[in-house]
Amino acid sequence: MVIRIAAVGDVHLDQDVVGRFRPALEELPECADVLLLAGDLTRHGTEAEARCVAEEFGGLAVPVVTVLGNHDHQCDQVPQVVKVLEDAGITVLEGNGVVLDCAGGRLGIAGVKGFGGGFAGRCASDFGEPEMKAFVRTTTDSADRLGDALRSLDCDMLVALTHYAPVPDTLAGEPLEIYPFLGSYQLGQAIDSAPRRWPCTGTRTPAPSAARPPAGCGYATSRTR
Amino acid sequence: MSHDRDIGAGPPDEYVEAEIQRLLAEDPAVAEQGITVVRRERALVLYGEVESPHRREEILRRVSERFPDVPITNDIGVIRAQAPTEIEQLP
Repeated sequence: MVIRIAAVGDVHLDQDVVGRFRPALEELPECADVLLLAGDLTRHGTEAEARCVAEEFGGLAVPVVTVLGNHDHQCDQVPQVVKVLEDAGITVLEGNGVVLDCAGGRLGIAGVKGFGGGFAGRCASDFGEPEMKAFVRTTTDSADRLGDALRSLDCDMLVALTHYAPVPDTLAGEPLEIYPFLGSYQLGQAIDSAPRRWPCTGTRTPAPSAARPPAGCGYATSRTR
Repeated sequence: MSHDRDIGAGPPDEYVEAEIQRLLAEDPAVAEQGITVVRRERALVLYGEVESPHRREEILRRVSERFPDVPITNDIGVIRAQAPTEIEQLP
């Protein structure tokens, strides 16, 4: 059973980029069953930029599923951005999931944007100032919703879609000092809580999965800076 | 951002580096968090990747405008948009 997943993140679309990705996207039906977008679709999260995303990624012959990223929140127009994307046929996940019938089986995708906090042994704690508690609790809440969504899907294969990193492996090349702003072990823990419907993990970077024990499902993520 | 000192005078220090890093993210005309700023003696090197040549030039323009006396080397590339040629096959 093979399900073919195309994934990309951080496309940061605006008028100056529209059309750049389209030739490659037109090839998708020949090589993928679904396209996952791992957030940061826009530069500033405006409705106008979302229309650029709709133009570039709408009307493809494969389903397109996305989460938003931190850039997509910059102008506080998330509801408008989501509406533009959904009107273009793009499924936007945030604490929920979708099951797609692919030739190779039923593919479940659960998604959240996620948030920061850092990784085991080097992470922020729910302690101290209200701002610090709010920071950590934002991630805890996001991870809880991701775990709930993953466990709710009835499917043959399961993928977690996040913008922020669930494991440090996907942050290779970034300065260690900023890892706590780029992801959280809590997202990874939520992914590992999912029923085992994938034999190994998948990430945005080439073959890093050996550095990590098998988890309950695959994941696609994109957060760098 | 900067305080009373003339942050644009003399060789770039860590405060210049910090201010440029924040400018790149917080200036709406740039909004880039993926550009690395490296201090090299009297100059600054910017490297990373952006989505278009226009964005690369805009970064250089904004930084040079803010720090006209600091020599800037622009080592920023433009991301590729071709279809990938490699697949990651999960067992």
